[in-house]
Parts: sequence; C-alpha cells; structure tokens
Amino acid sequence: MVNTMLRGTTAVVGVSDTPWYKRGTSGEPALKLALRAIVSAAEDAGIDPSEIDGFVSYGSERNDGQRMMPALGTKELRFGALVWTHGGGIPGALGLAALAIVTGQADVVAVYRAMSEYRGRRLRVDVAQDDTSPQHLVNGLDSPAQLCALRSMRLIEAEGVPARTLRDMALASYHHAKRNPRAIGRDTELDAETYEESRWVSEPYHLFDCSRENDAGSAVILVSADRAKDLRQKPAYLLGAPMGAAAGWGLREESGNPYWSAGFQGVADRLWADTGYGPGDVDVAQIYENMTGMGVSALIEHGFCTPASAGEFVTFDNLIAPNGGLPINTSGGNLAEGFIHGMSLVGEAVRQIRGTSTNQVPGATLSLMTGGPGDPVVSTALLADAAAL
Amino acid sequence: MEYEFHAHRITGGIGADDRFWESLEEGEFRLPRCADCKRWMWPAHFRCGQCGSWEQLWEPVEMSGRIYSWTRAHYAFDRTKERAEDVPYVVVVAELPGADGARVVGALAGPDSGVRCGVEVRGHIDPPSTKSKGYPAVRWSVVD
Repeated sequence: MVNTMLRGTTAVVGVSDTPWYKRGTSGEPALKLALRAIVSAAEDAGIDPSEIDGFVSYGSERNDGQRMMPALGTKELRFGALVWTHGGGIPGALGLAALAIVTGQADVVAVYRAMSEYRGRRLRVDVAQDDTSPQHLVNGLDSPAQLCALRSMRLIEAEGVPARTLRDMALASYHHAKRNPRAIGRDTELDAETYEESRWVSEPYHLFDCSRENDAGSAVILVSADRAKDLRQKPAYLLGAPMGAAAGWGLREESGNPYWSAGFQGVADRLWADTGYGPGDVDVAQIYENMTGMGVSALIEHGFCTPASAGEFVTFDNLIAPNGGLPINTSGGNLAEGFIHGMSLVGEAVRQIRGTSTNQVPGATLSLMTGGPGDPVVSTALLADAAAL
Repeated sequence: MEYEFHAHRITGGIGADDRFWESLEEGEFRLPRCADCKRWMWPAHFRCGQCGSWEQLWEPVEMSGRIYSWTRAHYAFDRTKERAEDVPYVVVVAELPGADGARVVGALAGPDSGVRCGVEVRGHIDPPSTKSKGYPAVRWSVVD
C-alpha cells in the first residue's frame, strides 16, 4: 500500500556541489566545504541559510549541525541525525529529513556530506570508520574495492552475469562525464579497449570499475511540498525513501545472502510499494557505484533485470541518455564526475526532474537514486515531477 | 595461555570472535554454534537470534570446503601494506559443509591457477605473523 504520509509530501528544492578537487588538493577542511555546499544549496532554493533548522547526514560525517550553526547564523537547530550506514544511507537521509518535516520537527532540512584530505586522512580510511573486521584485515582485505570484488566475482562465476556488464557500466558513466564540464573524468577517453587494458585493482575490477576519491562538499535542501511551491526552483518531490536490511543481510561479513547482493532485497520492493510505481516506470537512475559490479547488483535487485537477463539489459546503449532504456549516472556518477561518498548523485537525480542535467533525459518525471551498494543497511529513493504525484 | 593477537587487537566488526583466534593460536580450527539449539553461528555473535541463548560452543570443524568466492588483489591498500611484496595475491572465501556452509576467509597458499568458484579447498593454520597483523591466520589451498 502506498505510504501517504511520505509520498510527495516533501520536496528537494535546493542542490549544490562545491567544485571537485583531486583528493588532498582543495586546501580547505571538510567543515568549510560542507558550509559552502549548504549555503549554496540554500541560495539555489531561495532560502536564507539561517532558516535551516534540520541537519541530516550519514556515514562518518563529522561536520554536524552544532558545529556549523555559528557560521550559518542558525536561528534554532531543531533536528539532527546521522543515518546508517555508509553511502547506503543517502536516500535514507532524505527519508529521515522528510520524516522530520512531516512530523513538524523541522521546516528546512539540509542533507549533506563533505570530505577533504586537507588536515584529514585518506578518504577510504575515513569512510570505513575503522570498522573493518579482523577477519578481513588479517587476510589482506582492506578496501571496499576488495570486499565488493568478492561479491561481483560470485555474481559473474556463480550467477552467470557477464563480466562485460561491469565494463558497460563504466563506459556509460565516462560517456556522460564528457558533457559535464564539472566532471573530474570529462577528458578521459574511455573505450572498451582502454578499459580492458587498464590495470587490475582487485579482480574482477579494473581501475575504471572503481570510484575515485575527491575533496568536495555536496548538499540538498528539503522542505514541505506546500512550501516548495513558492520557491525559486521546480520542486523534485520525494515519493519514497525506504531503508533497511532483509533477514539474511546486515553485518555478516562474508556470510550474507544472497552473497552477490547490493543489499536491496526487500528495500527495493518497499520503494515500489511505498510509491505505487515499479522499475518499468523509471525514466532515469543514479545508481551508486562505488564499484561497477555492485551497481549491476543494485539494478537486478530493483527489478530492472534478473541475473539471467542482466547481459541483455546492462549494455552501454541501454544505459546512456537521452535514448537508452534506463540512462544511469548521467553526471558521470561516482566513477567519472567525482566521489563525495555518493552524495552528488542526489543533486543529479534532482536536476533530471528540473530538466537541467548536462545529459538530460527528455521529459523525465521519475528519477531514481539508489544508495551505496553492499552496505549492511541500504536505502533507495524515488523523486518525481509534480506530474507523477 | 598468552595469546599474541591480544597485543595487536583490531577493533572493527562485531567483535565476538576472540575464541576463534585463540583456537587458531592453539593450532585448532573451531567455529561457534549455539549451545542450546545447536545452530552454527558465523560470524560469531553474542546471542543466538533463533532461540535466544547467550551461550556458544566452539567446536572443531574440518578445514575442508569449496571456494564460494575469491579475488586476486593487485594492490596492497593502506592497512594491509604488509602484503605489498605479495601482490598479486589471492584471497578466498571458503564455504564449509562441516559448519552448515559457514564462510571463512583466508589468503590462498600455493598455486592460484585453478582458483574458481566451486573448486575444492583444504585449509591449514599459520601462526601469528606480521603479514597477518599479529594474528594467526587460516590459509586455503586448492585441492588437485
């Protein structure tokens, strides 16, 4: 049954990313980048930053609301929280912001993430929150690239999904980045041959299967659907943003089921139930791809294809704007636009509703954003134009 | 007995697997099962979610199973720099029929040419070393 409390009752009305910096080169700490992104997202919405009364983020975000209040001129902080777990929590953060708004706990909520190696650590260490199990570290497994590689290897060798699907995910992202002047990877000419010849990171992942690390900040502003109507931008209504983990999932190291899962078992079903739409209705999708193979798993679990039909569905032609069956990662995504722990995918999902993407899908009214795949808890969100309410 | 891994404690994860590492240092491969309903519980946890028992038995398990998944790591990341000289190295997730399909991670020992999901592997235990961050370690080898 459709979730009437949350379906279309709030909207994203402001979005902004700071410029993308190669990791360690921004010259600014993450707190300042977070402030820049939030202030600029508020300006995009036509709301004074001092009116923001709710702050929601996820993962290891350390730039909490209380730290930013003095710089934002916050009149009153009324709501703040971090959503589990890592990038898996992004759509859930939108959902929590919406929950705060519809229950009257906050009026203007910023959802954001900022990272910088300036006076900070290597991002992958920061993101991991020192929570890697000895079962992994003792055996030479450290990076998410390696842990995800294990899952994608199973997807390929036991589920029969062609390894070529990983390559086509990467090619689609880099193709879209070429038209995005902000994308870090815009000048990278990636074709099948370059991909295949690139060095391995952790098999089955080549270099181009893995997201990069950047210094940047990214933020969006949510308000009630009523208030959204009077603001500067065309609202991107939030139709649903469930989070969770099915019974065989959660923190299970290498014993989760199904092993190749990106974590969306049950969660994706609830998205469709909450919103009244299905995968066939989606016009464009931002698929969080820390690594390409996990994006393939996310597509399967959202019902766009099955392991058996993934080879047919996950092709370069089908994944690119404007005419692919499901254009994905139209800004270049985590792979080719830049990586701010996935947060910038929300802004691109919103731009598709506004009609302002550099790889616009004509008439896009339903825009999907899936959270960080493979996390012990994940979430997924559907945004819509007023026509789809 | 003094356990070496205690001095090199890694704090991430669930943190209920001390007995696993202690057993390995004692030269035995043991996995936990619920003391009441006898369900195998892996990764180790503090309470059986099935019957509610807080007690576990750590039983010896045959180090024999099949490759459930694997990766060949071509880069030693920050916290596993000890393996820089080994790249590329293969890490295996082995599924063990002796513990209801529990999956246990270990670096591959021996040739890696036959590595593939479903291939039979046998395990042995390496004593604590710098390479395994002061912990003892399970190693899997492909059975010819």
